[in-house]
Amino acid sequence: MTQGRFEGPLERVNDYLWRIPKSYKSGMRVDGLIFADERLIEHIRDDQAPEQVANVATLPGIQYASLAMPDIHWGYGFCIGGVCATDPEEGGVISPGGVGYDINCGVRLVRTRLRYEEVQPKLRQLIEALFREIPTGVGKTGKYHFDKQELRRLMSEGPRYLLKRGLATERDIEFTEAQGRLEGAEPASVSDRALDRGAEQCGTLGSGNHFLEVQVVDRIFDAQAAQILGLSEGQVCIMIHSGSRGLGYQVCDDALHMLRNIPEKYGIWLPDRQLACAPIHSPEGQKYLGAMRAAANFAWCNRQLLMWQAREVFQQIFGKPWDELGMHLVYDVAHNIAKLEEHTIDGRRKRVWVHRKGATRAFPPGHPEIPQAYRDIGQPVIIPGDMGRASWVLVGQAGAMEKSFGTTCHGAGRMMSRTAAIHEARGRRIDKELESQGIIARARSWKGLAEEQPAAYKDVDVVVDVVEKAGLSRKVARMRPIGVIKG
Amino acid sequence: MYEVFEHTADLGLRIRAATLDELFAEAGRALYSVLVSNPESIRPLKQLRVHLQTSDLEYLLLDWLNELLFLFDTQHLVFCQFQVHVEDGSLEAHLGGEPVDSQRHRLDHEVKAVTYHGLKVRRTTDGWLAEVILDI
Repeated sequence: MTQGRFEGPLERVNDYLWRIPKSYKSGMRVDGLIFADERLIEHIRDDQAPEQVANVATLPGIQYASLAMPDIHWGYGFCIGGVCATDPEEGGVISPGGVGYDINCGVRLVRTRLRYEEVQPKLRQLIEALFREIPTGVGKTGKYHFDKQELRRLMSEGPRYLLKRGLATERDIEFTEAQGRLEGAEPASVSDRALDRGAEQCGTLGSGNHFLEVQVVDRIFDAQAAQILGLSEGQVCIMIHSGSRGLGYQVCDDALHMLRNIPEKYGIWLPDRQLACAPIHSPEGQKYLGAMRAAANFAWCNRQLLMWQAREVFQQIFGKPWDELGMHLVYDVAHNIAKLEEHTIDGRRKRVWVHRKGATRAFPPGHPEIPQAYRDIGQPVIIPGDMGRASWVLVGQAGAMEKSFGTTCHGAGRMMSRTAAIHEARGRRIDKELESQGIIARARSWKGLAEEQPAAYKDVDVVVDVVEKAGLSRKVARMRPIGVIKG
Repeated sequence: MYEVFEHTADLGLRIRAATLDELFAEAGRALYSVLVSNPESIRPLKQLRVHLQTSDLEYLLLDWLNELLFLFDTQHLVFCQFQVHVEDGSLEAHLGGEPVDSQRHRLDHEVKAVTYHGLKVRRTTDGWLAEVILDI
C-alpha cells in the first residue's frame, strides 16, 4: 500500500467545515464532514484520511454525518480524529475500529502549587527521577501487580478499586470522566490472553506517542474558567497521556477476530476489513461492549497509577506530601472510546453510540455529566500537543452538541510519518535541541525522540484555533512543556 | 526480504519471498526488527513451537504475527530463528530465541497490534508478497 493524495471532493461549507458529499462513494449513508481551515485542509488532502471518513459513512445506523476533527490523519479503518454516532434502534453498529486498539487512550492534567521558578533549579533531577521511577517504553513492567481476580475487580470498579488500596482519593475519582467507571463492564468477556498482557502493565506509560510531561501554564485565555480549574500563569502542571496498554490492545484484537465473518452474517458490506462491526443489538456487539467497557475502566486505573507515581516522585524531590504540593487532578478525559449518549438529531432526542477515535468529548456548560464544580464553565478538554511547542486546556461549548455529538479535537495530529521523521532527524540530537529551549526530554532511545519530534506534528495552536472558531470548544490555557519522559 | 514502509502514525511491513513458508518466516523477522533495533543480538537459547489454524491465508499471517507479539508481551521472548511451514490453512512454526535481556537487546517500538487495514498476501510472478500495517 502506498500513501496517495485524496483526489475526491472536499466542498467548502464554511470557513471551518468541509463536506464529502454522500454521492461520492456508493454505500455512503450520510455525508462526511471535516472541521478544518484552509491551511489544514491542504495537509488533510495529502493522505487517505478523507477516504476513511467516507468509508465510515457506510456503517449501518450512522446518524447525521461521518465527522472528523482538524487533527485528522490517516489511520487504519477509521481515520484518527474520527467521530461517528450510530442508533441501535436503526440497526446501528458498534465497531471496535472506531475505538481503536488503545481503548480509552486519554489524557489527564494534574496541577501543583509550584511555580516555574521553584521547579526550574531542580528540573533535571525531577525529570531523571520521573524517568527512573515511572515504567516507560516497550517491554517495561510495572511495580503494581494484580492477579486475575484482582484485575477483574479493577476492570469492574475502575479507580474506586484503587481507592480501597490507598492509591486514589475520592477527589481523583470525581474529576475523572465518568468517575473512571463505565457501567456494564463485563470482565468475564475479557480473555485470559488480554489479562496476561495486562497483568504487569497497569501503571506503565508505554511508548509511541504516550508521555508524561511537566508543563508550565504559559498563557490564560479565559480567566474565570482558569480560576475554577485552579490554573494560573507560571504554575507547574503534569500532563499524562496513556491508555489501556496490552490489555486493551488484546481486547480489540479479540473482538476483531470474533467479528471476522460477522458483518456478512448480518448482511453488512464494508469497504475495509478494519471497519469490522456488529449490530449493537446482537450477541457479538454486546460481547464487545462489555469487554470494551472493562478495558476502559482498566485505562482509567492505569492513568491513576501513573499520576500516583508522579506524586510520589514530586514528594521525594520537593520534600513535602503531595497534597501540600497541591497536586490535584484537574480532569481526566478519554479520546479513544465509544459511549452511549443522548443527542438531538433532526430535532429528535436519541440515545446513540458515539465512537470517538482520536477525538475528545467536549460537553457544554450545564451538562449533567460534568463535575458540579465545573458545571458553569463546561467540561475541561485536555489537548496534548507536541513536546517542543504547547498543549492546551479547553472547555466544551454548546456548538459541540449541535455540530459534533459533543466532541472536539484530541491533539495536534501527525503530519510526518515515523520513517520520514527519522530521516529528518539524521545527524541531529533532538534532546539537545529541546534542551536549548529549556526542555529536558528523556526517552529510551534516540529513535523514540526522533519519531516524536515537534516537526512531526501539526501546529497544535492552529488545530485549537479551528475548534474554537467552529464553536466546539473554548480556549482556557496554553501550556508549554519543560520536561518530558517518553518510551 | 522485507522493508518498512511509511504510514502516517504507524509502520507498514512489506515482505517478499520465493515460497509461502519463507514469506511467513520473513514476516516474523520483520516484526522483530521493529521491536528490537539490534535483532542480530538475539541468541537461539530457547526453542518453542507454535501451531495455528485459519482458513484464510491473510488472517493466518495476521494471527501468526499477533501470536509473536503476544509471546513478546507476556513472556518477554524475542526470536531469531523461524522455521515455518504453511499448508492448507495451518501453520507450524519452530522458533529459536531467548528472554529479553536489557543489557544486550535494544528494545525499539512498542507494537500495539497487527491491523487488518491494507492486509495483503499475494502470489507474484516470482514468489509471494505480503503487506501489513502495525499499530504503534
